[in-house]
Amino acid sequence: MSQPGVPETVLVIDDDYAIRLSCGKILAKMGLRAETFEDGARGLDGVATAKPDMVIVDLKMPGISGMEVITRVHEIDPQIVIVVITGYATIDTAVQAMKCGAYDFLPKPFSPDELRLIVNRGLERRRLAMESMRHEIEQTVLKRRFVTFVSHQLRTPLVAIHQYLDVLRHLDQTSDTAARRQEWLDRCLARIDELQNLIADWLTLARVEGGTLFKERVKVDLNQVIREILKTYQQMAEAENVLLEASLPDGLFVWGDRSCMSVLFDNLITNAIKYNKPGGSVTVSGTESRGEVVITVADTGVGIPEECRPFLFEEFFRVKNDGLKKTAGTGLGLPICRKIVSEMGGTIHVESEAGAGSTFRVRLPAWREPEGADGSQNHAGQAANIDCR
Amino acid sequence: MRDKPRILIVDDDDDFVEAVAFVLEANGFTVSRGRDGAEGIRLAKMERPDLILMDIMMRERTEGFFTIHEIRRDPALTSVPIFVLSAFCTRLPDFEIPSSGGWLSHDMFFAKPVDTGQLLEKIRQRLGQTA
Repeated sequence: MSQPGVPETVLVIDDDYAIRLSCGKILAKMGLRAETFEDGARGLDGVATAKPDMVIVDLKMPGISGMEVITRVHEIDPQIVIVVITGYATIDTAVQAMKCGAYDFLPKPFSPDELRLIVNRGLERRRLAMESMRHEIEQTVLKRRFVTFVSHQLRTPLVAIHQYLDVLRHLDQTSDTAARRQEWLDRCLARIDELQNLIADWLTLARVEGGTLFKERVKVDLNQVIREILKTYQQMAEAENVLLEASLPDGLFVWGDRSCMSVLFDNLITNAIKYNKPGGSVTVSGTESRGEVVITVADTGVGIPEECRPFLFEEFFRVKNDGLKKTAGTGLGLPICRKIVSEMGGTIHVESEAGAGSTFRVRLPAWREPEGADGSQNHAGQAANIDCR
Repeated sequence: MRDKPRILIVDDDDDFVEAVAFVLEANGFTVSRGRDGAEGIRLAKMERPDLILMDIMMRERTEGFFTIHEIRRDPALTSVPIFVLSAFCTRLPDFEIPSSGGWLSHDMFFAKPVDTGQLLEKIRQRLGQTA
């Protein structure tokens, strides 16, 4: 297998001693691991143990024929690249070998350059095949794990609701149980809300990923967007005894979708309030310089432990913190933020000190006065190239 | 056995635990709760429960299995009955506790939401009580 630092392995199966010797030398000089075998049976044993990337096989050998070797090598691993050496280079035998699954053929006699060329080409193909296979497996595994995980997340509140209702159904309707019944019904409603939020966030995430949330790209004033959000959460902040502050210059313009910008800063600001401490503060500040708008949302809250920071923007990741039992969250807010920001060609980072607070820093390309009529088209073109993963 | 059999529930969902614990307590069991694997192991060692109900997907995807593995390593806990309660899947084979312990050394599986009547029956059976 081709792994970084490990030389690729090429097997040569040929009954001609001179060919084995010269091929072995040339391949070793190319930095490859070469093994040579004098007949098909030994060669196939070698393939099974050495697990080579490539096999070069003579078509005309005593014992097992070259054609059969091709088939049996591919039974061991269909991804092994096979090149046939043929002393009687007729088109027919070459075509037959290709039909059996050979990648290319080398007519005798051949020069070292011809061998090098064909080996390099074959190994390149092998690398591509392996790479795409790895990628495919990774994607399948990731997707499968993700589906399991999402369904588990969706099921969890339903299970709790079911379990409460099941007990409530059997509970005597006496005054003794009234308070408990009321409490459990309230919990059921809270878990239903949790499920609603989860579905809503999940949908938002899917829309950002699918690009459908970016209906329009217009000049958006972040100053205005953020001030509106701060106004909305003023009451919530007061209830938590958290001070909301803003230091935003006029005219922080970006080129984006208004509702996306609202979702982004809504998430960051509500997080900063939720994960704060009584008497703490949230400060939103913004600057624009060198074509970039930078917004920071800083809180004086519980902070994020260092070991959690690398996973903070991953779907469903939640910081474990015993002080936060009652803080409901879907685990999708920050992944949504990251997707929106990267969709716009920006970045989002966090600095944090456990126990002292966190600062989220969002950098977005600033809106620019279009130069002539095609200004907006440039932006659209730019956006299309952004890697949103 | 103590007057009241003690059951340890290891599950990160407070509401689920509350509802199940209510049923168990109403039926004469003492219930203790662990919110994650580490707490579950600590309580299992400290309280020596008569039976353990174990969730699987807590903070970590397979936390429950790791927790069972860890609990079984304690010589005093190798044979405590462990029932797995999970929404992770709808079926999981029931195992006789292997002497070697290991991830799957639980002895019964229940899919969430659980039928508490059935759960009670199986718990009583396992503890050798008559219903």
